[in-house]
Amino acid sequence: MKVFPHLGVQFDPGVVEHEEAGRFLPVTQIRRQEDATAVIANISAILHLENDPESLAAVQYCISELLRNVLEHSNSPDGAFVSAHRFVEKGPHRVTIAVADCGQGIAAHLSNTHAEVAEDDELALGLAMQLGVTGAKRGMYGTPENAGAGLFITRCIAKGTGGYFLLLSGRAAYRLRRARSNDDMIVLYADPYDDNRGDRWRFDKPWQGTVAVVEIRTETIADYDNFFQWIFKQIPSRKVVTRRIKFT
Amino acid sequence: MSVEIVVESGVNGFAENKDEARSIRLSRVLPAMTAGEDVILDFRAVRYATQSYVHALIGEALQKLGEHALDHIEFKNCSPQVRSVIELVVDYSLGGFAEKKSA
Repeated sequence: MKVFPHLGVQFDPGVVEHEEAGRFLPVTQIRRQEDATAVIANISAILHLENDPESLAAVQYCISELLRNVLEHSNSPDGAFVSAHRFVEKGPHRVTIAVADCGQGIAAHLSNTHAEVAEDDELALGLAMQLGVTGAKRGMYGTPENAGAGLFITRCIAKGTGGYFLLLSGRAAYRLRRARSNDDMIVLYADPYDDNRGDRWRFDKPWQGTVAVVEIRTETIADYDNFFQWIFKQIPSRKVVTRRIKFT
Repeated sequence: MSVEIVVESGVNGFAENKDEARSIRLSRVLPAMTAGEDVILDFRAVRYATQSYVHALIGEALQKLGEHALDHIEFKNCSPQVRSVIELVVDYSLGGFAEKKSA
């Protein structure tokens, strides 16, 4: 999309625009699930990830979860705005994804079930990134539609590849910095505020809505035998009944 | 009796559309299981699935019927990635998430 015309602002950058194919997904407005599905279906060709299925799945996973959060929980009048960029020339090779909305914000949504975060954006961000926390229902596994694991897994994908993760809503922001070593990548924290690679900010002026940014370092995914199996095995649950599941 | 459902995916074998998962759950999975029939979910077309998708597909049946649901549901042709997300959703649906623990 053309951002400045969309905003009603006349702007002449005075430079030649880059060709997007193979490099980036320009800022794209998402109003419905169908819009999100189209972006997820096309992202492989847009970023030229056809020959790297694990990286492609990681990118699709993050885009899907972040857009779905906006569509389901934000009450954003304009839906979501998403962009992505693949960096392949200078290392580290990576894909960055940003999703923004101008909705009610995380604190307002989560306060449906966690009243204590209503006036505290920093507390709300910390809770939203933990497992099993959803504004849809307080409880051990959420509702039939929501378990409250999406942001946790998205953070895990960034962390597990050594990339960064940023979440901003209202007057607060949290950033998980890039890993400096393999040890930084494999130690996942249930509470993001326990992670010494994390930074927090409080702002005087709020962003009315939410912004999430994920960096996936695609070159490190190849180091895992099976990246997604590793991610899902990091999530602790109270009861293990795996042996009873019938796989055929 | 058993009901066999072939799970569709989007492009590249990536299943993420929760609306579709919800529709399958409400129109086929729950009616069959509450009638005492077995359900076979065939993932032959899916290579990757989000946790949200699998949760929307089977989470409610597990929460309503408990561990007993596992006697009546079969997961067929799962890739290693799909298998691991099914294991995750089954475990937390029957027992919740562990609290405040570094993974």
